[in-house]
Amino acid sequence: MKRFLILTKAMTLMHLRNGYVLFWNFAFPVLLMFIYGAIMSQYMDYMTPGVIVLNALSFGLVSSSTMMLEMREKSVLRRLQATPLPAGQLIGSYLLVNVIIGVLQSTLIILAGVVLYDVPVTATSLLLSYPMILAGLLAFMALGGIISGMAAKAGTATAVGMTIYFLLMFISDMVFPLDMLPEWLRNVVPYLPAYPVVQLVRSAMLEATLDPKWLTHLFLLAAYGIGATFIAARLFRWEPKA
Amino acid sequence: MSQSIIDARNLIAAYGPMQALKGVSLTVEKGEIFGLLGPNGAGKTTLLACVEGLHKPMQGSVHVGGINVQTDTTATKRQMGIQLQRTALMDDLTVAELVEVYAALYEVYLTSNQINDLLTRFDLIEKRNTLARRLSGGQQQRLALAVAIANDPQIVLLDEPTSALDPHARRAVWDIVRQLHDEGRTIVLTTHAMEEAEALCGRIAIIDRGQIVACDTPAALIANLQLNSMLKATVELPLDQVRALPNVSNARYTGQHLEVETARPEVTLTALHELAARSGRSIRDVMLRQPNLEDVFLKLTGRALAESN
Repeated sequence: MKRFLILTKAMTLMHLRNGYVLFWNFAFPVLLMFIYGAIMSQYMDYMTPGVIVLNALSFGLVSSSTMMLEMREKSVLRRLQATPLPAGQLIGSYLLVNVIIGVLQSTLIILAGVVLYDVPVTATSLLLSYPMILAGLLAFMALGGIISGMAAKAGTATAVGMTIYFLLMFISDMVFPLDMLPEWLRNVVPYLPAYPVVQLVRSAMLEATLDPKWLTHLFLLAAYGIGATFIAARLFRWEPKA
Repeated sequence: MSQSIIDARNLIAAYGPMQALKGVSLTVEKGEIFGLLGPNGAGKTTLLACVEGLHKPMQGSVHVGGINVQTDTTATKRQMGIQLQRTALMDDLTVAELVEVYAALYEVYLTSNQINDLLTRFDLIEKRNTLARRLSGGQQQRLALAVAIANDPQIVLLDEPTSALDPHARRAVWDIVRQLHDEGRTIVLTTHAMEEAEALCGRIAIIDRGQIVACDTPAALIANLQLNSMLKATVELPLDQVRALPNVSNARYTGQHLEVETARPEVTLTALHELAARSGRSIRDVMLRQPNLEDVFLKLTGRALAESN
């Protein structure tokens, strides 16, 4: 346990001292709120949950893997592999730090919504929202783990992650309502990983209730999360591809 | 079971189609400085990786401290301190943080005083709170060594500990290696510099193209091959008379310099002086070069060590 704590402290410091990590994880989400606010300030009640999910999506698919990929490319992982540290502890510590970062980001976005655009939140709505945000983060990060496991280089992983992110962002009811999509796509989207998170977070935040289909949504997310974790664990590599 | 602290047998290892080790056996005894000498790509790093538990050999076995590396990797990793060829620490951490973390990964928890003592030893105490990325090359290498022994290991494996260092920094690392040895630790290091192997190592394995071609003390390696010393002098004498001198195996001129290969240079030099005196010549600029590991490598592989790198 002591080993895990010292390792986690080190992981936290590494993230906090990295300018790139700080900007994309903490400045960018707030910047997003400014941008959306400038375009459609009167819809920010509706938009804020969407921004939370799209931020969680880009964080899960791309940013949350950045440091791990960097450590792999610079042979830091190889050096860690030479110690008796079990891989599970390394990954667990890394994920813990990143889940906390993800939750902090969402908190910043909610704060920006409340302070800048008077987005109404209550204790109940927040209490319901955070577990939903967390479920989304975990599923997205697991999917990001598959991408970084498959990609030979950090650059490739970012490109693939961003492409999936943009596709999902436009079709998952975050920015554009589902009605705007062609019918065939409208039937597929509910089974993709981002849509259920949007529904769950939106009804939790705006109405302080559970979405009518919350059980289906959570079940789908769990399937994505567990399936992706299993695949990502198998794809985990200590070294870059030769 | 052998008492050797490291016991590798018949290792065959490959990266893709390239065979890196072609049946290597090696034993390292407790408390010695053991050198793996060979050109880049000879298989030194792969051999270390098999011992460290970082590479799974296709065939063969490695025991460290009597424990099988393949079946009980965690237990063998605990006994070793490791420095990999490319220094790869988390460079957003400070010097003191890195030492603390790497010790903790072995479940060794250092106090602040212990960390300071370690850093003082490696001449890094003033850099205690400096980020690793801001250190010079020599400092980073000393940090890699400090991190390697942060868990107080009995076996220390160093892969090219002095490559890319200037002569001053190289000497500093040599001093550290000798200190670690004086503390009773077993040290295995790789190098492609023969003067380093000669200066530090009690025993050396010469490794070339995935095979160990010789393994012994530096002196024995040189003696066993009965390599001759090279005597150089500026003097004009008939070559056939020089070749007839005692112990001389060959003689030639390169420019004005006479080069004489001899098994016993002191006898040959006296004879050469007498010959010169009889011929009314004087000898100037006498130089003697004794055979070294470079010559051993050349003799064993047919290639010069420097050329192979």
